[in-house]
Amino acid sequence: MVSRAAAAVRTRPRREREQEVLVWPDLVFIEFISALIFSIALMVLSAMVNAPLLNRADPDTTPNPSKAPWYFLNLQELLLHMEPAWAGVIVPTIALVLLAAIPYWDRDQEGQGVWFGTKFAGRLAIFGFTAATLITSLLIIWDGSLHVVWTENIIRGLGLNSDFSWPGGLDWFRNLRGFDTGIPWDSLGFTIGGFTMFADWRAIPLGIPGTTTDPWLLNLNFPSFLSQQIIPVATMVGLPVLFVLFCKALGWIHTRRDIALLIFSAFIGVYLTTTIVGTAFRGQGQDLKPPWDIVVLEE
Amino acid sequence: MANLERAPRKSFNDLIYDLIFKNYVWQSIFRTGYPNTPRNQMLAVATNVFLHLHPTRIHRTHVKITHTYCLGGLSFFMFLGLTVTGVLLMFYYVPSVERAYQDIQALEANVRFGQLLRNMHRWMAHAMIILVLLHMMRVFYTGAYKPPREFNWVVGVVLFILTLLLSFTGYLLPWDQLAFWAITVGTTMVGSAPVLGDESKFLLLGGFSVGPNALIRFYTLHVIGLPLVISIFLAVHFWRVRRDGGLARPL
Ligand code: HEM
Repeated sequence: MVSRAAAAVRTRPRREREQEVLVWPDLVFIEFISALIFSIALMVLSAMVNAPLLNRADPDTTPNPSKAPWYFLNLQELLLHMEPAWAGVIVPTIALVLLAAIPYWDRDQEGQGVWFGTKFAGRLAIFGFTAATLITSLLIIWDGSLHVVWTENIIRGLGLNSDFSWPGGLDWFRNLRGFDTGIPWDSLGFTIGGFTMFADWRAIPLGIPGTTTDPWLLNLNFPSFLSQQIIPVATMVGLPVLFVLFCKALGWIHTRRDIALLIFSAFIGVYLTTTIVGTAFRGQGQDLKPPWDIVVLEE
Repeated sequence: MANLERAPRKSFNDLIYDLIFKNYVWQSIFRTGYPNTPRNQMLAVATNVFLHLHPTRIHRTHVKITHTYCLGGLSFFMFLGLTVTGVLLMFYYVPSVERAYQDIQALEANVRFGQLLRNMHRWMAHAMIILVLLHMMRVFYTGAYKPPREFNWVVGVVLFILTLLLSFTGYLLPWDQLAFWAITVGTTMVGSAPVLGDESKFLLLGGFSVGPNALIRFYTLHVIGLPLVISIFLAVHFWRVRRDGGLARPL
């Protein structure tokens, strides 16, 4: 691979004049036309649709729902599913750092300068995007407990059981928080050393054992630590890994470029889905609602 | 003999043409006429302060619309348009809690084309974010980030962040309910950082909540701080596109 690429560089004529065109007029013309089209389109849009202006800012009346600008609604959407520090700061920071790091990790110059340069690039992009979009939507539906509502409505609607409600034994599967409340952590307890699981896990004693000084308790908040940190982070790390393994098994992945294609496309899928859900499907109390049912109340 | 030397009579079109393009003032600005030979066309690009961002000749695959869809160029065009409309908006807008909202209302109601001006600025800002994202996707899917263009990709990521910040700081300025609460939600997210969260939020807002200090900070960042910074990164970005040998193409 490398030697072929190197040979290609060596045999390339220093200047391929016959392959080149003049910037004036060829490129300047295209730039001018595209700028013109955009100017006209934006002018027409601006003549037809006014920028929003609501009432004067009032710190005492909170709109419900309150939303960040649309380009941050993907982060606000994450906020509903995990610890704020992860959603608002850590996840976006890591995402941007990984994004910036792509070229330092995928350095092979093969396949550059053309769209979808590797053999399976198209499939990887479509699979990554579609699968990520679907899975993200399902996760959002699950954490919004829509499956509970839908199951109840269907069973009641079919007349199978007119006062059916979600079984208590499945409470843990209502949504992410269900893991905190639906599982009887304390009765699952057992003891290791002096520790009673899981009751003692709520706080980690940071004292010096065997001394009489009171241990300083580090608040761990066990069940919610699980549902707000461990599970979301494991999902965000685990799913991409599964994606890669799956496509490897299909024989689609041969180079780092292929992995980059898959994960980047999946990232675009998640980015888009969370932005759209945050923008168009979150109503009062950030409940999932179809766009036409969303009204903003001032409270 | 004498008959042959007489110049043919000028047509009306030629007269108009000469009147516009062959007068003293025009020729003081554009020293040469329309560049209609390859040599002059290259000189036109190389000697014009705006056009010389380009090389004089480029590979033919790169003028195909489907290679770049003009997305980088259009992102930059949005930036220019936002600068122009933004400067005009500054004529009418005072960043104080007492006046901001009122000024926007007055702009819409009393200023000729004021509403249009505001709409243009707003929709261009949205368009710029979308275009930058699409540009990033086109660069990614054409594998144009690979060596030697690694660093320009990083510059691009910084440009993306700056674009978002420019838009975010502008969002507060109308001082309406939408602005106030969106910035409240956004800065609360900043406040949840595990380290220096509260400190960053305080620094950004100049206080514990969105108020007059936040307005003046956002305004200053929006109209001068961030535009200056992004201009520097844009200059580096364009310079690097050329230094890295023009757009990426197959080995
Ligand atoms: C304000 C935002 C930006 C502007 C105005 C801008 C402008 C441009 C322009 C005019 C080009 C020339 C080719 C083209 O039009 O596609 C270009 C190329 C490039 N841009 Fe950007 N860009 C921006 C953001 C980004 C971002 C977010 C990235 C990636 C994360 C990026 C990475 C690159 C790279 C790697 C090239 C070289 C492409 C090649 O060699 O084919 N840029 N940019």
